[in-house]
Amino acid sequence: MLDQSELEGLLRQCAGGDAAALQALHRRVAPQLLAVLLRLLRSRAQAEDALQDAFIRIWQEAGRFDQSRGRAMAWMVSIARNRAIDLLRAARPMLMLEEAELADAEQLRVAGPADRAEFSRTQSALWRCLEALGAQQRQCLVLAYQYGLTQQRIAASIAQPLGSVKSWVRRGLESLRRCIES
Amino acid sequence: MNYERPELLDQLAATHVLGLLRGRARVRFEHLCATRPRLLAARLSWEDRFLPLALALMPVAPSADHWPAIRRRINLAGALPSDSAARRRGFSARRWWSVAAAASVIATALLVGKLTVWSAPEWRPVAVLAQTSATPLWRVERTADSRRLVIHTVGPVQIAAARSYELWALPAGGAAPVSLGLLPVHGDIERALSAEQRSWLQKATQVAVSVEPSGGSPTGLPTGPVIIVTSIATASS
Repeated sequence: MLDQSELEGLLRQCAGGDAAALQALHRRVAPQLLAVLLRLLRSRAQAEDALQDAFIRIWQEAGRFDQSRGRAMAWMVSIARNRAIDLLRAARPMLMLEEAELADAEQLRVAGPADRAEFSRTQSALWRCLEALGAQQRQCLVLAYQYGLTQQRIAASIAQPLGSVKSWVRRGLESLRRCIES
Repeated sequence: MNYERPELLDQLAATHVLGLLRGRARVRFEHLCATRPRLLAARLSWEDRFLPLALALMPVAPSADHWPAIRRRINLAGALPSDSAARRRGFSARRWWSVAAAASVIATALLVGKLTVWSAPEWRPVAVLAQTSATPLWRVERTADSRRLVIHTVGPVQIAAARSYELWALPAGGAAPVSLGLLPVHGDIERALSAEQRSWLQKATQVAVSVEPSGGSPTGLPTGPVIIVTSIATASS
Protein backbone atom coordinates (compact mmCIF):
# COMPACT_ATOMS: atom_id res chain seq x y z
CA MET A 1 0.00 0.00 0.00
CA LEU A 2 1.27 3.47 -0.80
CA ASP A 3 0.77 4.88 2.63
CA GLN A 4 0.13 8.62 2.34
CA SER A 5 1.26 9.42 5.87
CA GLU A 6 4.51 7.52 5.28
CA LEU A 7 5.10 9.46 2.04
CA GLU A 8 4.29 12.73 3.80
CA GLY A 9 6.76 11.86 6.56
CA LEU A 10 9.48 11.17 4.00
CA LEU A 11 8.75 14.47 2.24
CA ARG A 12 9.09 16.31 5.57
CA GLN A 13 12.45 14.61 6.13
CA CYS A 14 13.53 15.61 2.61
CA ALA A 15 12.59 19.19 3.42
CA GLY A 16 15.00 18.92 6.35
CA GLY A 17 17.81 17.85 4.01
CA ASP A 18 17.72 14.12 4.75
CA ALA A 19 19.04 12.37 1.64
CA ALA A 20 18.21 8.94 3.07
CA ALA A 21 14.55 10.00 3.07
CA LEU A 22 14.78 10.91 -0.61
CA GLN A 23 16.33 7.52 -1.31
CA ALA A 24 13.52 5.82 0.61
CA LEU A 25 11.02 7.84 -1.39
CA HIS A 26 12.79 6.80 -4.57
CA ARG A 27 12.44 3.14 -3.61
CA ARG A 28 8.76 3.56 -2.81
CA VAL A 29 7.48 5.65 -5.69
CA ALA A 30 10.03 5.69 -8.54
CA PRO A 31 8.60 2.54 -10.21
CA GLN A 32 5.08 3.99 -10.33
CA LEU A 33 6.30 7.37 -11.55
CA LEU A 34 8.43 5.66 -14.20
CA ALA A 35 5.36 3.80 -15.47
CA VAL A 36 3.54 7.13 -15.82
CA LEU A 37 6.52 8.73 -17.61
CA LEU A 38 7.05 5.78 -19.94
CA ARG A 39 3.44 5.96 -21.07
CA LEU A 40 3.81 9.68 -21.75
CA LEU A 41 7.29 9.84 -23.27
CA ARG A 42 7.48 6.41 -24.92
CA SER A 43 11.23 6.22 -24.55
CA ARG A 44 12.97 4.47 -21.70
CA ALA A 45 15.96 6.82 -21.75
CA GLN A 46 13.83 9.96 -21.80
CA ALA A 47 11.51 8.62 -19.13
CA GLU A 48 14.42 7.81 -16.79
CA ASP A 49 15.91 11.27 -17.37
CA ALA A 50 12.56 12.91 -16.68
CA LEU A 51 12.27 10.82 -13.53
CA GLN A 52 15.64 12.13 -12.37
CA ASP A 53 14.45 15.68 -13.01
CA ALA A 54 11.26 14.95 -11.09
CA PHE A 55 13.20 13.69 -8.08
CA ILE A 56 15.46 16.75 -8.11
CA ARG A 57 12.32 18.87 -8.10
CA ILE A 58 10.75 16.79 -5.30
CA TRP A 59 13.95 17.29 -3.29
CA GLN A 60 14.02 21.02 -3.92
CA GLU A 61 10.32 21.61 -3.39
CA ALA A 62 9.66 19.15 -0.55
CA GLY A 63 9.44 22.05 1.90
CA ARG A 64 6.63 23.55 -0.12
CA PHE A 65 4.49 20.44 -0.12
CA ASP A 66 1.42 21.20 1.97
CA GLN A 67 -0.38 18.09 3.09
CA SER A 68 -3.47 20.05 4.03
CA ARG A 69 -3.87 20.91 0.36
CA GLY A 70 -3.32 17.60 -1.33
CA ARG A 71 -2.05 14.08 -1.18
CA ALA A 72 1.64 13.31 -1.41
CA MET A 73 1.32 10.83 -4.27
CA ALA A 74 -0.87 13.18 -6.31
CA TRP A 75 1.72 15.90 -5.77
CA MET A 76 4.61 13.73 -6.95
CA VAL A 77 2.67 12.37 -9.94
CA SER A 78 1.88 15.94 -10.92
CA ILE A 79 5.58 16.94 -10.75
CA ALA A 80 6.52 13.98 -12.94
CA ARG A 81 3.68 14.57 -15.43
CA ASN A 82 4.47 18.27 -15.70
CA ARG A 83 8.08 17.49 -16.51
CA ALA A 84 6.99 15.02 -19.20
CA ILE A 85 4.48 17.44 -20.69
CA ASP A 86 7.15 20.16 -20.85
CA LEU A 87 9.34 17.73 -22.79
CA LEU A 88 6.49 16.61 -25.03
CA ARG A 89 5.56 20.17 -25.92
CA ALA A 90 9.15 21.22 -26.64
CA ALA A 91 8.60 20.89 -30.37
CA ARG A 92 9.59 17.25 -30.55
CA PRO A 93 7.73 15.42 -33.27
CA MET A 94 5.47 12.97 -31.51
CA LEU A 95 5.01 9.35 -32.39
CA MET A 96 1.57 8.32 -33.46
CA LEU A 97 -0.22 5.90 -31.19
CA GLU A 98 -1.10 2.44 -32.37
CA GLU A 99 -4.65 1.28 -32.98
CA ALA A 100 -4.49 -0.98 -29.93
CA GLU A 101 -3.53 1.92 -27.70
CA LEU A 102 -6.37 4.05 -29.00
CA ALA A 103 -8.77 1.19 -28.30
CA ASP A 104 -7.31 0.70 -24.81
CA ALA A 105 -7.94 4.33 -24.03
CA GLU A 106 -11.49 4.13 -25.32
CA GLN A 107 -12.32 1.02 -23.33
CA LEU A 108 -10.29 1.93 -20.23
CA ARG A 109 -7.99 -1.05 -20.58
CA VAL A 110 -5.31 0.73 -18.72
CA ALA A 111 -2.27 -1.43 -19.15
CA GLY A 112 -3.42 -4.22 -21.41
CA PRO A 113 -3.76 -7.73 -20.00
CA ALA A 114 -1.09 -6.90 -17.46
CA ASP A 115 -3.11 -4.09 -15.95
CA ARG A 116 -3.62 -3.29 -12.35
CA ALA A 117 -6.94 -1.74 -13.13
CA GLU A 118 -8.96 -4.01 -10.90
CA PHE A 119 -8.13 -1.97 -7.82
CA SER A 120 -8.90 1.32 -9.53
CA ARG A 121 -12.05 -0.05 -11.05
CA THR A 122 -13.51 -1.19 -7.78
CA GLN A 123 -12.11 1.49 -5.51
CA SER A 124 -12.29 4.73 -7.35
CA ALA A 125 -15.08 7.02 -8.30
CA LEU A 126 -12.99 8.04 -11.29
CA TRP A 127 -13.35 4.61 -12.83
CA ARG A 128 -17.07 4.40 -12.28
CA CYS A 129 -17.51 7.87 -13.73
CA LEU A 130 -15.17 7.36 -16.71
CA GLU A 131 -17.13 4.24 -17.56
CA ALA A 132 -20.33 6.26 -17.46
CA LEU A 133 -19.03 8.73 -20.08
CA GLY A 134 -19.55 8.37 -23.80
CA ALA A 135 -16.78 6.36 -25.44
CA GLN A 136 -15.34 9.34 -27.29
CA GLN A 137 -15.31 11.59 -24.22
CA ARG A 138 -13.57 8.86 -22.23
CA GLN A 139 -11.05 8.20 -24.99
CA CYS A 140 -10.14 11.90 -25.26
CA LEU A 141 -9.58 12.26 -21.51
CA VAL A 142 -7.46 9.10 -21.21
CA LEU A 143 -5.40 9.97 -24.31
CA ALA A 144 -4.67 13.39 -22.81
CA TYR A 145 -3.93 12.27 -19.25
CA GLN A 146 -2.05 9.04 -19.81
CA TYR A 147 -0.52 9.53 -23.24
CA GLY A 148 0.01 13.28 -23.08
CA LEU A 149 -1.65 13.97 -26.42
CA THR A 150 -2.69 17.51 -27.32
CA GLN A 151 -6.22 18.04 -28.62
CA GLN A 152 -4.79 18.42 -32.14
CA ARG A 153 -3.00 15.08 -31.79
CA ILE A 154 -6.09 13.41 -30.42
CA ALA A 155 -8.07 14.69 -33.38
CA ALA A 156 -5.45 13.37 -35.81
CA SER A 157 -5.18 10.03 -34.01
CA ILE A 158 -8.88 9.26 -34.00
CA ALA A 159 -9.57 11.01 -37.32
CA GLN A 160 -12.17 13.40 -35.94
CA PRO A 161 -12.50 17.19 -36.27
CA LEU A 162 -10.62 19.26 -33.67
CA GLY A 163 -13.86 21.01 -32.72
CA SER A 164 -15.47 17.71 -31.80
CA VAL A 165 -12.47 16.72 -29.69
CA LYS A 166 -12.56 20.04 -27.84
CA SER A 167 -16.21 19.64 -27.09
CA TRP A 168 -15.80 16.00 -25.96
CA VAL A 169 -13.03 17.08 -23.59
CA ARG A 170 -15.09 19.97 -22.20
CA ARG A 171 -18.28 18.00 -21.76
CA GLY A 172 -16.38 14.94 -20.51
CA LEU A 173 -14.75 17.00 -17.78
CA GLU A 174 -18.07 18.54 -16.76
CA SER A 175 -19.79 15.15 -16.54
CA LEU A 176 -16.84 13.68 -14.72
CA ARG A 177 -16.87 16.36 -12.05
CA ARG A 178 -20.63 16.07 -11.53
CA CYS A 179 -20.40 12.28 -11.33
CA ILE A 180 -17.42 12.19 -8.93
CA GLU A 181 -19.01 14.76 -6.65
CA SER A 182 -22.41 13.06 -6.63
CA MET B 1 -10.91 34.79 -19.06
CA ASN B 2 -12.94 35.55 -15.97
CA TYR B 3 -11.18 33.50 -13.31
CA GLU B 4 -13.87 34.16 -10.71
CA ARG B 5 -16.58 32.11 -12.43
CA PRO B 6 -16.40 28.76 -10.64
CA GLU B 7 -17.28 26.56 -13.61
CA LEU B 8 -14.75 28.28 -15.86
CA LEU B 9 -12.12 28.13 -13.17
CA ASP B 10 -12.78 24.43 -12.69
CA GLN B 11 -12.68 23.72 -16.43
CA LEU B 12 -9.40 25.63 -16.73
CA ALA B 13 -7.83 23.70 -13.85
CA ALA B 14 -8.95 20.36 -15.29
CA THR B 15 -7.61 21.31 -18.72
CA HIS B 16 -4.27 22.14 -17.14
CA VAL B 17 -4.13 18.85 -15.21
CA LEU B 18 -4.82 16.94 -18.43
CA GLY B 19 -1.84 18.75 -19.96
CA LEU B 20 -3.97 20.53 -22.56
CA LEU B 21 -3.02 24.14 -21.81
CA ARG B 22 -0.34 25.17 -24.25
CA GLY B 23 2.62 27.53 -24.22
CA ARG B 24 1.91 30.81 -22.53
CA ALA B 25 -1.50 29.73 -21.23
CA ARG B 26 0.19 26.93 -19.34
CA VAL B 27 2.82 29.22 -17.82
CA ARG B 28 0.17 31.83 -16.95
CA PHE B 29 -1.92 29.20 -15.22
CA GLU B 30 1.05 28.14 -13.06
CA HIS B 31 1.63 31.76 -12.02
CA LEU B 32 -2.03 32.40 -11.31
CA CYS B 33 -2.14 29.40 -8.95
CA ALA B 34 0.34 31.17 -6.70
CA THR B 35 -2.02 34.04 -6.06
CA ARG B 36 -5.46 32.48 -6.51
CA PRO B 37 -6.23 29.89 -3.84
CA ARG B 38 -9.45 28.81 -5.54
CA LEU B 39 -7.67 28.05 -8.77
CA LEU B 40 -5.00 26.11 -6.88
CA ALA B 41 -7.68 24.20 -4.96
CA ALA B 42 -9.45 23.30 -8.20
CA ARG B 43 -6.16 22.12 -9.70
CA LEU B 44 -5.33 19.96 -6.66
CA SER B 45 -8.82 18.43 -6.75
CA TRP B 46 -8.37 17.43 -10.37
CA GLU B 47 -4.89 16.05 -9.73
CA ASP B 48 -6.44 13.91 -7.03
CA ARG B 49 -9.40 12.84 -9.17
CA PHE B 50 -7.22 11.67 -12.05
CA LEU B 51 -4.64 9.97 -9.80
CA PRO B 52 -6.18 6.46 -10.19
CA LEU B 53 -5.35 6.58 -13.92
CA ALA B 54 -1.67 7.03 -12.98
CA LEU B 55 -1.72 4.41 -10.22
CA ALA B 56 -3.37 1.83 -12.48
CA LEU B 57 -0.22 1.55 -14.61
CA MET B 58 2.09 -1.35 -13.85
CA PRO B 59 5.17 -0.04 -11.98
CA VAL B 60 8.49 -0.31 -13.82
CA ALA B 61 11.81 -0.56 -11.95
CA PRO B 62 14.26 2.18 -12.91
CA SER B 63 17.72 1.03 -13.98
CA ALA B 64 20.24 0.28 -11.22
CA ASP B 65 22.16 3.53 -11.71
CA HIS B 66 19.07 5.74 -11.45
CA TRP B 67 19.35 6.59 -7.77
CA PRO B 68 23.16 7.12 -7.85
CA ALA B 69 22.64 9.58 -10.73
CA ILE B 70 20.08 11.57 -8.73
CA ARG B 71 22.43 11.50 -5.79
CA ARG B 72 25.25 12.94 -7.88
CA ARG B 73 22.96 15.64 -9.19
CA ILE B 74 21.86 16.83 -5.79
CA ASN B 75 25.50 16.89 -4.83
CA LEU B 76 25.25 14.93 -1.66
CA ALA B 77 28.48 13.00 -1.99
CA GLY B 78 28.54 11.51 1.49
CA ALA B 79 29.04 14.79 3.33
CA LEU B 80 25.73 15.46 5.07
CA PRO B 81 25.43 14.35 8.67
CA SER B 82 22.00 12.86 7.95
CA ASP B 83 23.60 10.77 5.23
CA SER B 84 26.36 9.31 7.39
CA ALA B 85 23.76 8.58 10.06
CA ALA B 86 21.74 6.78 7.41
CA ARG B 87 24.77 4.75 6.42
CA ARG B 88 25.44 3.78 10.01
CA ARG B 89 21.82 2.72 10.36
CA GLY B 90 22.13 0.75 7.13
CA PHE B 91 25.20 -1.06 8.44
CA SER B 92 23.64 -2.03 11.74
CA ALA B 93 20.41 -2.97 9.97
CA ARG B 94 22.39 -5.34 7.73
CA ARG B 95 24.05 -6.99 10.71
CA TRP B 96 20.76 -7.27 12.51
CA TRP B 97 19.23 -8.71 9.37
CA SER B 98 21.86 -11.44 9.09
CA VAL B 99 21.23 -12.48 12.69
CA ALA B 100 17.48 -12.39 12.12
CA ALA B 101 17.85 -14.38 8.90
CA ALA B 102 19.86 -17.07 10.68
CA ALA B 103 17.24 -17.17 13.43
CA SER B 104 14.44 -17.41 10.92
CA VAL B 105 16.13 -20.33 9.13
CA ILE B 106 16.26 -22.19 12.43
CA ALA B 107 12.68 -21.20 13.29
CA THR B 108 11.48 -22.25 9.84
CA ALA B 109 13.29 -25.57 10.15
CA LEU B 110 11.61 -26.16 13.50
CA LEU B 111 8.24 -25.11 12.12
CA VAL B 112 8.54 -27.34 9.06
CA GLY B 113 9.60 -30.20 11.28
CA LYS B 114 6.59 -29.65 13.48
CA LEU B 115 4.17 -29.38 10.60
CA THR B 116 5.37 -32.53 8.91
CA VAL B 117 5.49 -34.52 12.10
CA TRP B 118 2.37 -33.39 13.90
CA SER B 119 -0.13 -31.85 11.55
CA ALA B 120 -0.81 -31.16 7.94
CA PRO B 121 -1.52 -27.43 7.53
CA GLU B 122 -4.90 -26.31 6.33
CA TRP B 123 -4.49 -24.72 2.91
CA ARG B 124 -6.60 -21.81 1.75
CA PRO B 125 -6.92 -20.67 -1.85
CA VAL B 126 -4.91 -17.65 -2.99
CA ALA B 127 -5.58 -17.74 -6.73
CA VAL B 128 -5.92 -19.90 -9.79
CA LEU B 129 -3.48 -18.57 -12.35
CA ALA B 130 -4.61 -18.68 -15.96
CA GLN B 131 -4.08 -16.50 -18.97
CA THR B 132 -7.32 -14.94 -20.12
CA SER B 133 -9.92 -17.63 -20.86
CA ALA B 134 -7.24 -20.32 -21.14
CA THR B 135 -6.54 -23.47 -19.16
CA PRO B 136 -5.39 -22.78 -15.59
CA LEU B 137 -1.64 -23.21 -15.23
CA TRP B 138 -1.11 -23.04 -11.47
CA ARG B 139 -3.16 -23.16 -8.29
CA VAL B 140 -1.73 -21.19 -5.36
CA GLU B 141 -2.67 -21.79 -1.75
CA ARG B 142 -1.46 -20.52 1.59
CA THR B 143 -1.78 -21.43 5.22
CA ALA B 144 -4.27 -19.44 7.30
CA ASP B 145 -1.42 -17.37 8.77
CA SER B 146 0.18 -16.86 5.30
CA ARG B 147 3.46 -18.28 6.56
CA ARG B 148 3.64 -20.90 3.84
CA LEU B 149 2.68 -21.01 0.21
CA VAL B 150 2.07 -24.05 -1.93
CA ILE B 151 1.96 -23.90 -5.72
CA HIS B 152 0.46 -26.76 -7.75
CA THR B 153 1.19 -26.93 -11.46
CA VAL B 154 -2.18 -27.81 -12.96
CA GLY B 155 -1.73 -27.09 -16.66
CA PRO B 156 0.89 -27.66 -19.32
CA VAL B 157 3.46 -24.93 -18.67
CA GLN B 158 5.61 -23.92 -21.64
CA ILE B 159 8.71 -21.90 -20.95
CA ALA B 160 11.37 -20.49 -23.27
CA ALA B 161 15.00 -21.38 -22.68
CA ALA B 162 16.72 -19.37 -19.95
CA ARG B 163 13.44 -17.97 -18.65
CA SER B 164 11.53 -18.40 -15.40
CA TYR B 165 8.01 -17.49 -14.33
CA GLU B 166 7.88 -15.36 -11.20
CA LEU B 167 4.90 -14.79 -8.91
CA TRP B 168 4.21 -11.32 -7.48
CA ALA B 169 1.88 -9.91 -4.84
CA LEU B 170 0.34 -6.63 -6.02
CA PRO B 171 -0.44 -4.43 -3.03
CA ALA B 172 -3.58 -2.31 -3.25
CA GLY B 173 -3.03 1.37 -3.88
CA GLY B 174 -0.21 1.10 -6.38
CA ALA B 175 2.82 0.16 -4.28
CA ALA B 176 5.53 -1.82 -6.06
CA PRO B 177 4.95 -5.56 -6.58
CA VAL B 178 6.60 -7.92 -4.10
CA SER B 179 8.09 -11.20 -5.33
CA LEU B 180 6.63 -14.41 -3.95
CA GLY B 181 9.28 -16.50 -5.71
CA LEU B 182 9.47 -18.55 -8.87
CA LEU B 183 6.70 -20.76 -10.20
CA PRO B 184 7.38 -24.43 -10.93
CA VAL B 185 7.20 -25.74 -14.50
CA HIS B 186 5.80 -29.04 -13.28
CA GLY B 187 4.86 -30.62 -9.96
CA ASP B 188 4.14 -28.87 -6.69
CA ILE B 189 6.35 -26.72 -4.53
CA GLU B 190 5.87 -25.47 -1.02
CA ARG B 191 7.82 -22.60 0.46
CA ALA B 192 8.01 -20.50 3.61
CA LEU B 193 7.32 -16.80 3.16
CA SER B 194 9.47 -14.18 4.85
CA ALA B 195 7.78 -11.84 7.31
CA GLU B 196 7.91 -9.13 4.65
CA GLN B 197 6.41 -11.32 1.91
CA ARG B 198 3.73 -12.46 4.35
CA SER B 199 2.75 -8.96 5.28
CA TRP B 200 2.60 -7.83 1.63
CA LEU B 201 0.62 -10.90 0.63
CA GLN B 202 -1.89 -10.21 3.38
CA LYS B 203 -2.29 -6.64 2.12
CA ALA B 204 -2.36 -7.56 -1.56
CA THR B 205 -5.52 -7.63 -3.66
CA GLN B 206 -4.01 -9.29 -6.72
CA VAL B 207 -1.18 -11.55 -7.79
CA ALA B 208 0.68 -11.42 -11.10
CA VAL B 209 3.00 -13.66 -13.08
CA SER B 210 5.87 -12.23 -15.11
CA VAL B 211 8.40 -13.81 -17.44
CA GLU B 212 11.91 -13.26 -16.07
CA PRO B 213 15.47 -14.32 -16.82
CA SER B 214 16.22 -17.79 -15.48
CA GLY B 215 16.37 -17.62 -11.69
CA GLY B 216 14.08 -14.63 -11.36
CA SER B 217 14.03 -10.87 -11.74
CA PRO B 218 17.48 -9.32 -11.28
CA THR B 219 15.98 -6.07 -9.99
CA GLY B 220 13.43 -7.17 -7.43
CA LEU B 221 10.61 -5.89 -9.63
CA PRO B 222 9.02 -7.43 -12.72
CA THR B 223 11.28 -6.86 -15.72
CA GLY B 224 9.68 -9.06 -18.38
CA PRO B 225 6.16 -9.23 -19.77
CA VAL B 226 3.41 -9.81 -17.24
CA ILE B 227 1.31 -12.68 -18.53
CA ILE B 228 -1.27 -13.03 -15.76
CA VAL B 229 -2.90 -10.67 -13.27
CA THR B 230 -5.65 -12.05 -11.12
CA SER B 231 -7.51 -11.19 -7.92
CA ILE B 232 -6.68 -12.93 -4.69
CA ALA B 233 -9.45 -15.08 -3.24
CA THR B 234 -11.00 -13.43 -0.19
CA ALA B 235 -10.87 -15.16 3.18
CA SER B 236 -14.49 -16.31 2.96
CA SER B 237 -14.17 -17.99 -0.42
